[in-house]
Amino acid sequence: MSVQLAGLRREMRGIAVAILLIALTTAVGIFLRHYFGILRGSVLYLIPVMILGYRFGVVPALLTAVAGVILSGYLFFAQLYSFRIASPQEALNLSLFMVVAVVVSHLSSQAKQHIMIARKREREMSDLYAFSRRLAAASGAAEIFDAIQSHLANLAQRRVVLLGSADTTGGADVPASVRAAVTSVEADKGLERTVDDGSGNIWLIRRVSPKTPDFGLVAVDLGRVSGDALAEMRQRIDGALADAAATLERLDVARALADARMRSETELLREALIGSVSHELRTPLASILGAATVLYNAPALAGDPRLLALTGVVRDEAERLNSDIQNLLDATTISRQQVRPKLQWVEPVDVVNAALQHRRRRLAGYPVTLHLDSDLPIVHVDPLQVEQALAQILDNAAKYSPGGAPIRVAAHADGATVVLSVQDQGAGLTADEKRQIGERFFRGARHAVTTSGSGLGLWIANAFITANGGKLEVESAGADRGTTVSIRLPAAPMPSFQDTMAEEAEPAESAVDD
Amino acid sequence: MTEVPPSVLVVDDEVQIRRFLRTGFELDGFAVQEAETGAEALRLAALKPSDLVILDLGLPDVDGGEVLERLRAWSNVPLIVLSVRASEDEKVRLLELGADDYVVKPFGMAELLARAHSAMRRQLRVARGEPVMQFGPLAIDFAARAVFVNDRRLTLTPKEYRLLQVLAQHSGNVVTHQYLLREVWGNEHVGDTHYLRIFVRKLRRKIEADPTQPEILLTELGVGYRLVSPEPAASPAGDLPH
Repeated sequence: MSVQLAGLRREMRGIAVAILLIALTTAVGIFLRHYFGILRGSVLYLIPVMILGYRFGVVPALLTAVAGVILSGYLFFAQLYSFRIASPQEALNLSLFMVVAVVVSHLSSQAKQHIMIARKREREMSDLYAFSRRLAAASGAAEIFDAIQSHLANLAQRRVVLLGSADTTGGADVPASVRAAVTSVEADKGLERTVDDGSGNIWLIRRVSPKTPDFGLVAVDLGRVSGDALAEMRQRIDGALADAAATLERLDVARALADARMRSETELLREALIGSVSHELRTPLASILGAATVLYNAPALAGDPRLLALTGVVRDEAERLNSDIQNLLDATTISRQQVRPKLQWVEPVDVVNAALQHRRRRLAGYPVTLHLDSDLPIVHVDPLQVEQALAQILDNAAKYSPGGAPIRVAAHADGATVVLSVQDQGAGLTADEKRQIGERFFRGARHAVTTSGSGLGLWIANAFITANGGKLEVESAGADRGTTVSIRLPAAPMPSFQDTMAEEAEPAESAVDD
Repeated sequence: MTEVPPSVLVVDDEVQIRRFLRTGFELDGFAVQEAETGAEALRLAALKPSDLVILDLGLPDVDGGEVLERLRAWSNVPLIVLSVRASEDEKVRLLELGADDYVVKPFGMAELLARAHSAMRRQLRVARGEPVMQFGPLAIDFAARAVFVNDRRLTLTPKEYRLLQVLAQHSGNVVTHQYLLREVWGNEHVGDTHYLRIFVRKLRRKIEADPTQPEILLTELGVGYRLVSPEPAASPAGDLPH
């Protein structure tokens, strides 16, 4: 619509200018005739014909020519000041003028068109030149995709979206029908498609390279084009993409992209497997643990310590398996970056007690001493994640300590932080081990033979504590000199109490009477 | 009355789980009914009312929460929910829907029995309207609104007393933060968990021998609190005396 409207407006303006110029020329003609007696003034009308042909195209120019013939007949040919033509020669003269005017109007309008085309070509050439310069200088896929995008945007003068390659993001604001077409091109391995986005705009969807699907697709909004214009645009885009694809091939981008995709697919597959396997294992495990605990308390077994001990083994191992599964699930959550703490106000001592309660069987052979301040600031954290982290640390303390070695668990305030710490007298850490300890699956080589474990514990603890705005610290004086692991949690300022609390705060302190 | 064994309805779609639950409850003196689906559970609960319901959440036909809701429309039977280690929000939702307690799978039988007996005792107490409740050294005299520790009378503020009272009414079973805040401070303070933390700390200083090692007022992380009688000796897997 807007294109047609603009054309119409231009024509109307052309006609207005034509009327103005004819009036002016006629005034000049009358002036020349009166004061200089010039009789062949009809040639004057060729000036507005030329101007209009150049500026506004053929139609206003021809209108001007016709008006010129009529007015020349009136002003310059016998009978003067009459539309009657006196002699056949005069009629021939007027006809000649008409022919000349038509030719002039055509020539001038064509000259204009040629100049326009020449300018456009020049701009396109410089675009293309800039594009190929950018391609030549590109050292990576990102730069090439950038160049494609800006070059095609220049070419189409509209929106260009790159999709589907590992190095491109976007497409969020692409119309649904276009997105559907993109999906179908992706699926059926076709090279290109055009699609109407529903509002009359034509989009061209094309693979960046016909050979290498990994380079992704480009979707170009071509606006309202059809027929030749569409074919020409297509050809240009083909040309540009062929150059770009060649450059991508030259830089061996394909292999890099394929590698990246394979890596992320393997990773995803592994995570999914761990997730579903862990979940599936839980159900039979619940039956095993439940059945073992029923047996453990069964009167029939009470008199036989050997059978009771065996049942205890089943129960304890099922519990250990359960906590291993929990570790795998936690690891999956962490590596998918889906750790989302549910923050609430928490009594730090509660977290310590819950972790100790969870690990009571694991810690059975170790004398645990507690040093818990009763007046710690309340912290704003996800209590279960912090508890989980602390339980992992307790696990490690037991795992790397000889039986009977004491474990000291403390909670104290340190400035604006609350510190929960677990200190053991076990294997300690060498400088090397201390450096690697935060890594996933890291297990000290010194203990690989004597202890079992996945090496996930501290990694999980660290991820949970970090997600809760805290810090995990590991200290050791060296090999076999014990380890202290501390969780530092920020003591967030508490929201102020309302009236109901303030009113009561005082008498509550008077504590016990009697 | 004492001759009739208590009955339990076990609702779980896993046959192996039902098997050990049946044996565990039978060894504990219960008569056991089983249901595999939510529909069957509701039908059995109406047809042959039991003294206790164990309800698994992952049922094949209806969501366990819905079974709970429909059951609670007409029955006040003590009910324990079984769930796979789900979110704390889910646990809170079920407790608010009227479950007496929850146990997370996998679990030990002793733990489930302890919860079950608490839930049933509460029901019994509500029926009898006991005037005094004892939690180890702690005694609460509801008629006199008096609280004692080792026979020493405590001075509690009205809100501290109210908090203790609400917990005692659900003795042995978990009470959610939201429920406590609503009962003690009113609806507009349901989100103010920090009130609760401060008051529980004060209360523990008065009723616990060591407030950092509470034995009576216990925390369920992320969910709420429970008031219990301290266990006499540390026998982790030992069965509860009953």
